[in-house]
Amino acid sequence: MEKTLNKNNFDSFITGLKKQGYKTIAPKKDNKLVTLDEIQDANEISLDHVITNNSIKEYFLPKTEKILSYTIEKNKVEMKEPEGFAVKSVIFGSRPCDAFSLPVMDKVFNWDCVDKFWVERREAVTIVTISCDKFDSYCFCTSVGLAPDAKQGSDVLLTKISNDEYLVETVTEKGENLVKELESVFSDPPSGTPDRQVATVEKKFDIGKIKPWLDDNFEHDVWDEFSHKCIGCGACTFVCPTCHCFDIVDECSMTKGDRVKNWDGCQFKMFTMHTSGHNPRNTQGMRWRQRIMHKFKYYVEKFDSTLCVGCGRCSRVCPADMNISEMLEIIETEAGK
Amino acid sequence: MIEELRKKAEELLKNGTVKVVFGYGEGSVPERTRPVFITKPEDVNKLTWNKYCVYNLTTYLKRQETRKLGKPALILKGCDARTIIVLLKECQIKREDVYIIGVTCDGVGDPLAEKCKACDVHTPLIYDDLVGEKRENKEVPFEERYAELDEYEKLEEKDKWEFWQKQFEKCIKCYACSNICPLCFCDRCIVEKNQPQWIDPSAHPRGNLSWNVTRAYHLAGRCINCEECQRVCPVDIPLNLLNKKLAKEAEKSFDYRPGYNIDDELAMSTYKEDDDEDFFK
Amino acid sequence: MSKAEAKPENQFEPKIIAFLCNWCTYAGADLAGTGRKEYQANVRIIKLPCTGGIDPLFLIKAFERGADGILVSGCHPGDCHYNSGNYHARRRWNVFRPLLEFCGINPDRIQFSWISAAEGGKWVETINGIVDAVRELGPFESYQKLNTIGPETSGGAADASSETG
Repeated sequence: MEKTLNKNNFDSFITGLKKQGYKTIAPKKDNKLVTLDEIQDANEISLDHVITNNSIKEYFLPKTEKILSYTIEKNKVEMKEPEGFAVKSVIFGSRPCDAFSLPVMDKVFNWDCVDKFWVERREAVTIVTISCDKFDSYCFCTSVGLAPDAKQGSDVLLTKISNDEYLVETVTEKGENLVKELESVFSDPPSGTPDRQVATVEKKFDIGKIKPWLDDNFEHDVWDEFSHKCIGCGACTFVCPTCHCFDIVDECSMTKGDRVKNWDGCQFKMFTMHTSGHNPRNTQGMRWRQRIMHKFKYYVEKFDSTLCVGCGRCSRVCPADMNISEMLEIIETEAGK
Repeated sequence: MIEELRKKAEELLKNGTVKVVFGYGEGSVPERTRPVFITKPEDVNKLTWNKYCVYNLTTYLKRQETRKLGKPALILKGCDARTIIVLLKECQIKREDVYIIGVTCDGVGDPLAEKCKACDVHTPLIYDDLVGEKRENKEVPFEERYAELDEYEKLEEKDKWEFWQKQFEKCIKCYACSNICPLCFCDRCIVEKNQPQWIDPSAHPRGNLSWNVTRAYHLAGRCINCEECQRVCPVDIPLNLLNKKLAKEAEKSFDYRPGYNIDDELAMSTYKEDDDEDFFK
Repeated sequence: MSKAEAKPENQFEPKIIAFLCNWCTYAGADLAGTGRKEYQANVRIIKLPCTGGIDPLFLIKAFERGADGILVSGCHPGDCHYNSGNYHARRRWNVFRPLLEFCGINPDRIQFSWISAAEGGKWVETINGIVDAVRELGPFESYQKLNTIGPETSGGAADASSETG
């Protein structure tokens, strides 16, 4: 289904969502950052950014979440599973790369064990994406097979067609239902071919050359050389929309406790540390290699999909200016040798 | 100045004084630089110097990967060189194990970094070689140095709490703040110790408060105000305000500023019999 | 409850955690006990060898686990069993206290004192003083609110308010 949405109608769109019982999450300016955050009002929405600082993943895999609570009495252990974590909501104004990360990660969260926290949230949340009309030098979605107006993962895709008008394309049934629910705020699609204002993101490397090189180069000097400047923080993995490693800890007292799931990241020294003190990934080079290998080799082998959507967040936040697309360009060059 | 730096680096690598030079190189975008580790004299052209050289390269002295490269020469601004004095005092390095190429500096960052606004170390206080014209290190009055804190100190208790809760709430526990810090050099950080679990690893409000307060406190009387923690925070928490507050209290109570004088006793490992105790009952 | 007769109904009873050094203040508290001195029963004592061994994290942990107020007390300056432990402790509190204040924690919730083994009377006064002061401030709700995680709010592990005592 195609429609158009005028910027002036954002207000009634957001109010409409609220009336229909949706929690609305949208890009919001907060000092130096633009973050996907809950909004109450359409004028809180920020639209002039390239990409939000936080990724969409935290609405499906929160940085910290309780997965179980328990109480211990003399001869009795009582367990309680959390409820109400999947809230009917709309994420409005996320980017196509973020939206695409969801179907990529669906694969792992529905694999040998179905992660109900992920799955139930996926069902409860509708994604209304806005195509990118600008980009910066960190963006590389086109190099990993995406596009600034890619539809995968979105339920509804909005694309700018004039200064205040967006073309509305429904992608899924969920999206179609949403548009129908709020029909009055949308207008009919324009006649003829609309002028879609979409950024032209230059292709930086050929993804086809990456995996074959990775297959053969588990041991290579480039891993160490490139990662000398890495300080071993987990910022890249935490802002990444597709990094999904987590750690489970019990926060408890003698009589009760919570089992909590927290983000974890392969760039931490502690991530692979054994109790004995032995660490199979003993240097930052090995950890950096793991990040690249997981994204461009292991995940491809297992799930037939690259675990990177080209958003460039990791490169933007890196304290030492490590740039992932630069690494992949180096690999491409090495592969050509 | 860039040429002079490159020449110096080349000379040190050629005559074997050092095995590696920690310096600044061109970044992924013009507004950034990045740390580079030059091991071959022919690579010295990778070195650069401009207003985007914000990094405090002494942080690489704590990382085993870069330590393995051999004896380093470090390109250090005045503020960064203060770290060396603290590290020497805390027995983390030996003076003969590092070669310091000091650079005189008029401030970095665009817009100018907060730390540069009240800089009193345009010329490093410790170096083996100095590149750039020597500047006078003018003293900056106490009030001016901590002026940034005023508006936060003035807040009502409730507002202070709300302000910091709002900031800490954002924390994602990526630990970039402590990993970038040249003075956070514990082999095992307190957050990694789980018997008992002193600090909740979860990024919830409780865990975030205890982490951020503890991180700051562990730098009391040690932080040299390089602002790296704040620069790298991916969620933009003004961490340096906490560091600065502690520095202010340490200076007020103990008349001590870390990284200025190698003969000063470290604030937190000494005491005076007449230390302030007005708050004791 | 010592002052039960004077206690108004529904009066808030703060939980005070006292970190005491073994040699002076703990002995002082003991003296108050053997001297049959009465004081408000809101305090839970944690005995340590020396105030110099009190990590500021202990204080944070106490708040996390539901304390409304904290007392840190040791030997008078010059009297430390280990010569200088209390001097080092004093340095720490000199910077830690303003840090907490800066973060919006009322400094009256954390009190420091020197109480010697002979000062049973001072112990009683100090405890009554801090209990009254913290009672005035009320429960440390803002900190205890941090103890809830996730969408449903009751029953967090560190929601320890109901399990101490």
